[in-house]
Amino acid sequence: MSTEATIFIIDDDPAIRDSLTLMVVQEGFAVSTFESAEAFLESFQTERFGCAIVDIRMSGMDGMLLQEMLTKHHFQLPIIFLTGHGDIPMSVRAIKAGAVDFLTKPVTRERLMTSVRFALVESEKMLTERASHQSVQSHLAELTERERDVMALAVQGHSNKEIARLLGISHRTVEIHKSKVMHKTGATNLLDLARIAHEGEFKSIDKP
Amino acid sequence: MKDSLLANLSVQTLFDAAADAMLLVDNIGHVVQANAVALELLDYSFEQINGLEIEALMPKSYRNQHHQHRNSYYKNPEKRPMGKGRDLVALRRDGSEIAVDISLSPISTGAQHFVLATLHIADKRRKVEEALKISEERLRLAKEAAGLGVFDFDYRNNVIHWDERMRDIWGEESEESVSYKKFVAAIHPDDRAARQTVIERAIDPASNGEYSVDYRVINPNDGVERWIATVGRIHFTNGHATRLLGVARDITDQKILEKTLQEQRAEMETLFKQQVASQTVSAIAHELNQPLAAISAYSEVALHALNSSTFNPENLKRALEGAVAQAQRAGKSLHELLAFMQKGELVTERFELNHVLKEALNIAKGDGYGDFSPLLALEPAMPEVLGNETQVRKILVNLLRNAVEAMRVAAVPSSAISITVRTNQEINMAHVTIQDCGPGLDAETAKRIFEPFFTTKPTGIGMGLAISRALTEANGGQLWLEQNNKPGATFHFTLPFATLT
Repeated sequence: MSTEATIFIIDDDPAIRDSLTLMVVQEGFAVSTFESAEAFLESFQTERFGCAIVDIRMSGMDGMLLQEMLTKHHFQLPIIFLTGHGDIPMSVRAIKAGAVDFLTKPVTRERLMTSVRFALVESEKMLTERASHQSVQSHLAELTERERDVMALAVQGHSNKEIARLLGISHRTVEIHKSKVMHKTGATNLLDLARIAHEGEFKSIDKP
Repeated sequence: MKDSLLANLSVQTLFDAAADAMLLVDNIGHVVQANAVALELLDYSFEQINGLEIEALMPKSYRNQHHQHRNSYYKNPEKRPMGKGRDLVALRRDGSEIAVDISLSPISTGAQHFVLATLHIADKRRKVEEALKISEERLRLAKEAAGLGVFDFDYRNNVIHWDERMRDIWGEESEESVSYKKFVAAIHPDDRAARQTVIERAIDPASNGEYSVDYRVINPNDGVERWIATVGRIHFTNGHATRLLGVARDITDQKILEKTLQEQRAEMETLFKQQVASQTVSAIAHELNQPLAAISAYSEVALHALNSSTFNPENLKRALEGAVAQAQRAGKSLHELLAFMQKGELVTERFELNHVLKEALNIAKGDGYGDFSPLLALEPAMPEVLGNETQVRKILVNLLRNAVEAMRVAAVPSSAISITVRTNQEINMAHVTIQDCGPGLDAETAKRIFEPFFTTKPTGIGMGLAISRALTEANGGQLWLEQNNKPGATFHFTLPFATLT
């Protein structure tokens, strides 16, 4: 793990915040607590490694709404919900919306920590994917317009000859553009280039 | 003076000056004198009418009868109206008829006996009668439209006279009266006793004689049961009930509707009770589960601390203290709920509200809610109020705590609470106002603030204001939130004075 994990505890009950903080700190994690979903959203930065332990029932914005807000703003943070009673329809909804777990209070240390560890694995995965996505994006951003044209046709399976004809340029020029594309994106072969195009949501240009 | 005046007036002058038609008739029934109005009314000249048999001035069909009446009148002459209320008709010379009322007065001059007949044109009376007829017709129509039946219970003869509508309901054909026994036989056996009680109360001469009772009538022909509402009045003669005159209305549809509504209401009430019960249980569960969850976590923290090589006594202490505080919190929530649900006898006493307010201020301070400055405006020498002192103190402490908590959350710079205790002259009650300078309440919160289990506080149970309002009402007062644009929240409550001034 590149950075230390932070466990966010969002609960409007001070005793719950305090006791869970002590517990999570004993496990060696950094803790950040919030008494409301609103306060958490105000201070939250994306790309944080960690997870959130969120009380479903809070005055003001409740846990489910917080989850919606995070999703809406593409904030990737695994959520573990805590609830007073095992409301099954609500738990199904929360899990479907991407929650890691839905735990009933009082929760045992073991159960909570299992969920937290699982959530951290999820978080790491999210961050890695995000990082790779971002690097691909930045590589693709370096391409010139002509290079993008060549790349688009290449990943569609056209040969250099065909590309030259379609774009009305010489075979040699296509070869130069293509070698620059391979270099800039770091693609090892055509298949790799196709993967990068897919990951980076590369938009193929309209055929001339 | 008077005599000399009359002496100068001839009888004929007086006779002719009268506004009504007058005929003087002798003892054998001949007209001997007629005034000008009479001549005009009957269309005769004096010469024509003089000596005419009086019967000539009435339709033929009356004449024979009149001979007899005339003879009997002379035997027993007296001043009276003629015809015993029958419609009388005079015959004019041209044979046309004219409705008249006639008064008879005997006049004697020595041995000679005359009768003075005074004729008033009866049109006016007829008009009144006509109006009465129209009014009766209207009443009948109204009665029919309202579906009213009329009955007249002759108490002495045990007979009931009734109209068609009543007969319809009772399933009787055409009899205009019915024996009381038969009348009662159609009444539902279960309703007879109640009806009898009402009648007995009404026939008591000490009562106002008013009678009103609903009962069921079973039509003996088709067995259909109908609800009847009867209203009436007993008539007394010499202190004895003689008649019960009343109206009856078919209220079957209304009763069916009432029953449906009652069932719906009962159903709603059950649903509401279930909802309240489920809400209550859910609130209790939440109130106990929160501290339990914290206690569980604190305990595991303590255990972990004891088992770990890097023992941190500070954390162990914090965890155990936390567990104790949470156990206390759970107990307190339970007690508050139990106190709310207990419906004990309310003991009331007289006390000084200002004094109890000062006690409440001290209690709030002692409970850790002392971080405010009270701005007091207390009416001096205010009369004593009547209520349960402990409960009133609790209301005050609750309101003060709420105010302090609201200001803490908002972290207002000046934590002042304005408290006014005064006499509200309009309602003649003690009136307390508590205004904080916190953030106040938004419209949505204000609407729900008195609901049980509604709370804006993270550790609140949501019963404080619900309990306070219930307590105020139990003490004969009101508790409300002022809706205004002022900063902060303003709560008011009233209490009755011990002595009404």
